[in-house]
Amino acid sequence: MKIIVADDSRVMRQIVVRTLRQAGFTGHDVLEAENGKQCLDMVLAEQPGLVLSDWNMPEMNGIDCLQSLRAAGSQVPFGFVTSEGSDDMRARAASAGALFLIAKPFSAETFQEHLGGIL
Amino acid sequence: MSSIAAPEAADVQAVTEQVWSSFLGDEEPLIPRFMEPGHPFDAEEVWSSAISIGGGWSGTVTVELSANLALELTRVMLALEAGDPISDEDLADAVGELVNMVGGNIKSLMPGPSVLTLPIVAAGRAAHASDAIEVARLDAVWAGEPVRVSVHTRASE
Repeated sequence: MKIIVADDSRVMRQIVVRTLRQAGFTGHDVLEAENGKQCLDMVLAEQPGLVLSDWNMPEMNGIDCLQSLRAAGSQVPFGFVTSEGSDDMRARAASAGALFLIAKPFSAETFQEHLGGIL
Repeated sequence: MSSIAAPEAADVQAVTEQVWSSFLGDEEPLIPRFMEPGHPFDAEEVWSSAISIGGGWSGTVTVELSANLALELTRVMLALEAGDPISDEDLADAVGELVNMVGGNIKSLMPGPSVLTLPIVAAGRAAHASDAIEVARLDAVWAGEPVRVSVHTRASE
């Protein structure tokens, strides 16, 4: 499956990719986006099976990216991996159509719990 | 999740320890240490990063750490081998992500809704505005290297 990991931090993209592997989700084609705009363009061009996105990014943030995807008719499974896990943000993520919100810091077990039914 | 009126030292310590152990492991513990209020961060070479929260609660979260600790943090987060070169760009990315995680988790404790800025990273000690009030601080040592996490609000807020 194609997976897009969107985060403005290269360090965090690498940690997310590593955690996917540690959680046992291997053999997937992982593409990286540096902001929400790049993620939006990449999803529409690549038709991935999953997006794992940061919330707080330059150019376009994660929630705007998700809303733009849904407005463009994309129903790609979308989850947030973000440092902010407040009730307010979880509610905003869910109402925009996100499947889950994983708060940083996270573990391989957290990835297994949220991604087990998708990957 | 219930919110609190202001972050306390115990909150800062709990959040920092959680972030720390997730990405740097538990083998080498983060050991809190006492420093007098107002005492400047005491590493010779320092990297610092800051992130602001604005909205239901407003404040700034700052991380200062020795250059050696910043290098080690970057090495672990990027899974680099000892001796691999580390660019300032990667170091700034890792230190910025550290304050992003600590700041994001502090924000989650506070009344919302609020907005978190993108992190700012610099080589050198952090300087605070003249009306900034320190409300909580953690001084600690990891593998013999110092780190400080502090939370400030403005007197006018």
